[in-house]
Amino acid sequence: MNKLLQDKKAICIFVVPGFLLFTFVLFIPICQSIFYSFCNYDALTPPKFIGFKNYTMLLRDDTMKVALKNSMFFLVFSCVTQLIMGLLLAGLLTNIQKGRNFFKNVIYLPCVLSSAALGLLWMFIFSPKLGVNQLLKMWNIKGPLWLMDTHGFIILPMWVIGFVALWQYVGQSMMLYMAQISGISKTLYEASEIDGCSKAQSFRYITLPLIKPMVGTAMSLNAIGSLKFFDLIFNMTEGGPNHATEVLATHLYTQGFKYFKYGYASAIGVVLLVMCLIMTGLINAAFKTDQYES
Amino acid sequence: MKKTTKRVSIWKIVIYIFFCIMAAIYLVPLLWVFTVSFKTNAEIFSSPFSLPKQLCFDNYVVAWTAGKLGIATWNSFLVCVITLLLSMLVGSMIAFAIARMQWKLSKLVLTYFLLGMMIPVHCVLIPLFTRFAKIGLSNNLWGLVLPYLTFSLPVTIYIMSGFFRSIPNELLEAACIDGCSIYKIFFRVCLPLAKTGLFVTGLMTFVANWNELLLAMVFISDDNIKTLPVSLSKFVGPYNTNYSQMFAAIIIAIIPTIAVYCAFSNQIVDGLTAGAVKG
Amino acid sequence: MKKKLLSILLSATMALTAFAGCGASGNGGETASGGSSSSGAEEITWMFWDDLNATEDLISLGYKDVVDRFNKDYEGVYHVTPITTNLEEYYTKLNALVASGETPDCFIVSPGPNLTTYVEPGVAADLTPYLEADGWKDTFSSDSVFSQQTYDGKIYAVPLNIAAACVFYNTEMFANAGVEVPKTYDELLDACKKLKDAGYTPITISAGTAWCLSMLCAYLFDREGVDLKAMEAGTESWKNDKTLDAVNKMLELSQYFQETAAGDTNDVATAAFYNEEAAILIQGSWAIGQINGSNAAFESKCGVFQFPGLAGGNDPNRVIAKSDSLAMSSTTKHPEAVAALMKYFTDDTAQKYTAEKGGKIPVTKVSYDEEAAPAQLAYVMDIFGNATGTFGFLNESLATTEAGSFFDDTMVSIYLGNVTPEEGLQTIEDWYVDNIR
Repeated sequence: MNKLLQDKKAICIFVVPGFLLFTFVLFIPICQSIFYSFCNYDALTPPKFIGFKNYTMLLRDDTMKVALKNSMFFLVFSCVTQLIMGLLLAGLLTNIQKGRNFFKNVIYLPCVLSSAALGLLWMFIFSPKLGVNQLLKMWNIKGPLWLMDTHGFIILPMWVIGFVALWQYVGQSMMLYMAQISGISKTLYEASEIDGCSKAQSFRYITLPLIKPMVGTAMSLNAIGSLKFFDLIFNMTEGGPNHATEVLATHLYTQGFKYFKYGYASAIGVVLLVMCLIMTGLINAAFKTDQYES
Repeated sequence: MKKTTKRVSIWKIVIYIFFCIMAAIYLVPLLWVFTVSFKTNAEIFSSPFSLPKQLCFDNYVVAWTAGKLGIATWNSFLVCVITLLLSMLVGSMIAFAIARMQWKLSKLVLTYFLLGMMIPVHCVLIPLFTRFAKIGLSNNLWGLVLPYLTFSLPVTIYIMSGFFRSIPNELLEAACIDGCSIYKIFFRVCLPLAKTGLFVTGLMTFVANWNELLLAMVFISDDNIKTLPVSLSKFVGPYNTNYSQMFAAIIIAIIPTIAVYCAFSNQIVDGLTAGAVKG
Repeated sequence: MKKKLLSILLSATMALTAFAGCGASGNGGETASGGSSSSGAEEITWMFWDDLNATEDLISLGYKDVVDRFNKDYEGVYHVTPITTNLEEYYTKLNALVASGETPDCFIVSPGPNLTTYVEPGVAADLTPYLEADGWKDTFSSDSVFSQQTYDGKIYAVPLNIAAACVFYNTEMFANAGVEVPKTYDELLDACKKLKDAGYTPITISAGTAWCLSMLCAYLFDREGVDLKAMEAGTESWKNDKTLDAVNKMLELSQYFQETAAGDTNDVATAAFYNEEAAILIQGSWAIGQINGSNAAFESKCGVFQFPGLAGGNDPNRVIAKSDSLAMSSTTKHPEAVAALMKYFTDDTAQKYTAEKGGKIPVTKVSYDEEAAPAQLAYVMDIFGNATGTFGFLNESLATTEAGSFFDDTMVSIYLGNVTPEEGLQTIEDWYVDNIR
């Protein structure tokens, strides 16, 4: 038995293909990317080493500041709203029998649809001549420029995009919480009812503490997802007007594939990578302590 | 007692009203696009909310043929299925080696693969693009399969190794006594036992890649090998946009997914959730 | 067991080859002519920014005809295969091909910084010898059509057609409001006011598509006599009296824009014009096809005038012009074939089509049937004929494409009121200090 499981040749056959693929498609490009970020590299001439110049440029780049601000907004907004809405929906859904499946499936539906298509759909819904504003016009309300207004610290289009992202992905958080809630033993609730607890109280004192670990999982999914966020913004605003809705991913795309500043775009990529690693680290740390508590 | 039942029923009604509103928020936009997709360009702007005066199927025909959505759907399908099969095979082989076989570096290799989960695809976009252009993988569906496969491996390995670990030792020992080779143990004994895992990882891989936009947009420029999400963007041009075709294209892009979803919604939702929990 | 593994491997390889074959056939199936290349013919590639089989754009359709005609006439000698992308990602794909050493033999390019990127590293070939060889150059209407394609006296690209940016107006609305065609900026303001009083939306423009608003600014800049070269070189700041004045004039005009200008895309803004919701549209002559195609009844009501001048300003007869140009790869193995193809794009048949169907200004001395051409083209031709000089779109004539976009975006920001004109121009100045000078 052990001889079989220690078969070096078999291990090689099992592991090597994936290992090579992973190294060539992920690991080496990451190293290259870090190298490029120290280079002046446009598409047509070979990379030339320029030290930290790309990074000092990043510090002075106004669009980068906007992109960072928007990415951070997105991170916080999606973590908070997904947590609240996801919990609310999960809590309420577990309380009804009839139609539970239907509502659950409807709310989960956008998670499996293409965000490119949904982005276009919502772009039309929020465009001035179609959709929401025409609907408001019927009641003589002049709707705002949903995707073009640029007043305030966090501009209206970012809230709109945040709403659409919530609309699309809240199903996932909801399902995660529901899976956890349905795992809680019924007897706990029965006991609390005998003790005279209201539904709200049992939610607060039984459900919430018991699903805490799941909050960590859902949060980390949301956080990494929102840092990588690209499709919806690209199809709804393309980062405009005047880069006001740019996030890190769209800024990288514009710099790299519209202006061919490969070196500079790589530097943005490195920043994104570092942020992802930090976020994963932070949430994992929080998540671990949660497990010890429960 | 009577009082409580009454309160509960009001409470229930409120919940149901709430969920009906939620369902409307989810379904109305989709239904709206569906009705609009049958209108002509002029009608879209004059009366966006009415039912179409006559069903204009031309939008669909043009989007499907001239807009090349037919080809794009096929390309998406091809890429996704091949990635799915390869990721199940390669991923579960690695997972098996890590979970059940005994070798010194297994922990280290697992960490190496799991690191991939934290890396956003944007970071490798430029090096991959320049490399693939040099070796003829840009404008080639294989150029999509390789990165898709790579990025689906970490989750696949993680989930599958969980399933392989849960297989009782006795089963493996029995197979060993029967004289099975290690390959037979993997293909004949372990893989069938981890069917649920394969379903879950396969589903996750498929859904993620079916909707992937960024890589496909950067790597593919030839209209004949574009995938569905990329082809959609073609309908919005800098000089003019054909709205009715655009809406038809959106519907074409989401209808297959919706159809499959309606048929297997429970399995899909549960499968994806299970995947997310484990991942 | 080995057998089993072998069979799996085998089937995997089979799937692989079948798949690769599919990709390859996808590549080859791109020919516009639909016919496969006959063996022995010299194969050349031609890269273009629109899908020739799906496009409704009249100019693109004309190019398709040219390619088909060329392939038919040179059957067995040369064969051209188009590589097509859409406009947004055109340069990305072209650069990728250049970087991988597979530069298309012939490719379309906009003059200005885009062309410069290919001329400077030697990607584009010097075309002067071919143009001068057999009187080809003499067929062009004048040497000035090459002005944006010439570097150090050498011509690196051949223009195919010219589009000019003009002011389109609704003659009926003008008559109803009692407005004459404005000759100066003040008259334009006055006309807008009268149109507004008569209950019309005076101007439809798109700030959602940044280059549309930027085109208006480009005209104002030019009429003010802004010296772009000096600002490029750094001898003058982007924030000066003339630029400030121009930007303030844009804001002054903006009170007459349609309400949704900030969010409307180019299409929506143009649609508002041909659907007779607004009186004035500032657009390139390429919009003629779109206007007449969408509302044929409007052709007779659509007038064109030149962008008015400023009292005491620069020469008011300068026109914004944009041309499509073809460049040749310096590494092509078949330069003769590419030159032959380029000649097909500038021969009489192609140029006649350009004017009569495409609604763009031909680059050669071709005579065409003015009756067949759209009514607006004659007006545009008049304006172009009287022009004392042409200049490019700012997003195609500033130092780099990014500088162009930066300018466009800043103009949108100023229009939206996010920054004051002073602040906006200062950011352009700062950006130039960091990136260009």
